[in-house]
Amino acid sequence: MMSVLKAKNLKKSFGDLCVLRDISFEVEKGEVVAVIGPSGGGKSTLLRSLIDLEKIDGGSIWIDGDPLVENGIYCKPAKIAAATAKTGMVFQHFNLFPHLTVRKNLELAPKLVKKQDSKITADDCTRYLNKVGLSEKANSYPRELSGGQKQRVAIARALMMHPDILLFDEPTSALDPELTVEVLDTMKQLARDSMTMIVVTHEMSFAREVANKVIFMDQGVILEEGPPEQIFSNPTQPRTKEFLNSILKGQ
Amino acid sequence: MDFSVMFQQLCKGSLVTMQLFIIVLPLSLILGILVMLGARCSIKPIRWFFEFYIYILRGTPLLLQMLILFYGLYYIPGIGPHLVITSRSFACTLAFTLNYAAYFAEIFRGGLLAVDPGQYEASKVLGLSKSQMYLHVVFPQMFRVALPSTANETITLVKDTSLIFALGIEELLQNATNIVNSQATFVPYIFAAIFYLVLTTIPSVIFKKLEKKFDF
Repeated sequence: MMSVLKAKNLKKSFGDLCVLRDISFEVEKGEVVAVIGPSGGGKSTLLRSLIDLEKIDGGSIWIDGDPLVENGIYCKPAKIAAATAKTGMVFQHFNLFPHLTVRKNLELAPKLVKKQDSKITADDCTRYLNKVGLSEKANSYPRELSGGQKQRVAIARALMMHPDILLFDEPTSALDPELTVEVLDTMKQLARDSMTMIVVTHEMSFAREVANKVIFMDQGVILEEGPPEQIFSNPTQPRTKEFLNSILKGQ
Repeated sequence: MDFSVMFQQLCKGSLVTMQLFIIVLPLSLILGILVMLGARCSIKPIRWFFEFYIYILRGTPLLLQMLILFYGLYYIPGIGPHLVITSRSFACTLAFTLNYAAYFAEIFRGGLLAVDPGQYEASKVLGLSKSQMYLHVVFPQMFRVALPSTANETITLVKDTSLIFALGIEELLQNATNIVNSQATFVPYIFAAIFYLVLTTIPSVIFKKLEKKFDF
């Protein structure tokens, strides 16, 4: 089976600080990958490099077999655009467009980028708002929504571009605990629909229940990866044990 | 002096004022956006040019800029005589547009800084091109932030039009002064004040409406 996303030997430094040291992994179609680990371990940088929000210094990234960067050399802008067009992203702080209604937030990119027919776009919009349970908010502005609702709109907005893989950068970290549930439920539903996802998260229960694969990252290195049962019940690395102990005590 | 004659004179003056205002406002707003983009350009010489432009135009009086444009171009060695502007009203319009563009550029720059960096990232991951991003995502938010300052500057523009008397153009205040001097009465100044108030009220009402509309 061809992997949806393949990263090989990724390297990245900010000045003297090395944030990614030789990171390699693959994501199969329909797989949910949870990336966990302490803050500052390079999780977000890794995720952002996969959609070209950060430039890596070395290594290769392929999305659906199309290269974004090979051996540290980036492709031409048109090829980069083609590769990243198959990828969607959901941010920690939602990044909805505040001057547009929910409906217009969803419809902007399909109309401008894909020049998609407005009837099809409107149908998609209704469908995805239904999916995240917010069809009654189509004409609301982002400021009228709760944090959880904003994040669900952001997920629907990402789905509008029909990505082959969806990246989540700590999607619940900016939310009150009682609002994280609705966002996690939406993500679980996406997982059931076989959406391929990479989720950087501190929600261990989500990683445990929903992910097919868990990647533990620390100091720019993948220390351990495997199915959630193995990582959570039988971690081989002392650093993983230490991290899980400290975080599970807190939750 | 007949009241209706005075009124007529003041109306004529305010027409000149309004003409200048109506031409300068849109031109300087558009030029202001271009100057702002220029001053943020990643190509250094272009950025330096527009930063220098803002520095000069904001750092010297508008009145002086008008005088230099009309009387001073001639003295530029070599090309000076070819640059001379013979129309007084054109010199005024040009000076006002160049000057106000510098101010609007700074106002827009402030508005741009207020746009959350996450907005650029969201636009990028959705595949928007640079121009689509600025047109549909960044500028609308920039304008909202810039709206109150733009309103301020617009009202100042109405009042600044009185400066064009310096090139001998008979605008509202100049016409009032003429009557005050010839008729030995202060009344025209009171009426001029009322005229200015009416002229500044219109843009302030429009901007208040815009602020409400763009309250997102």
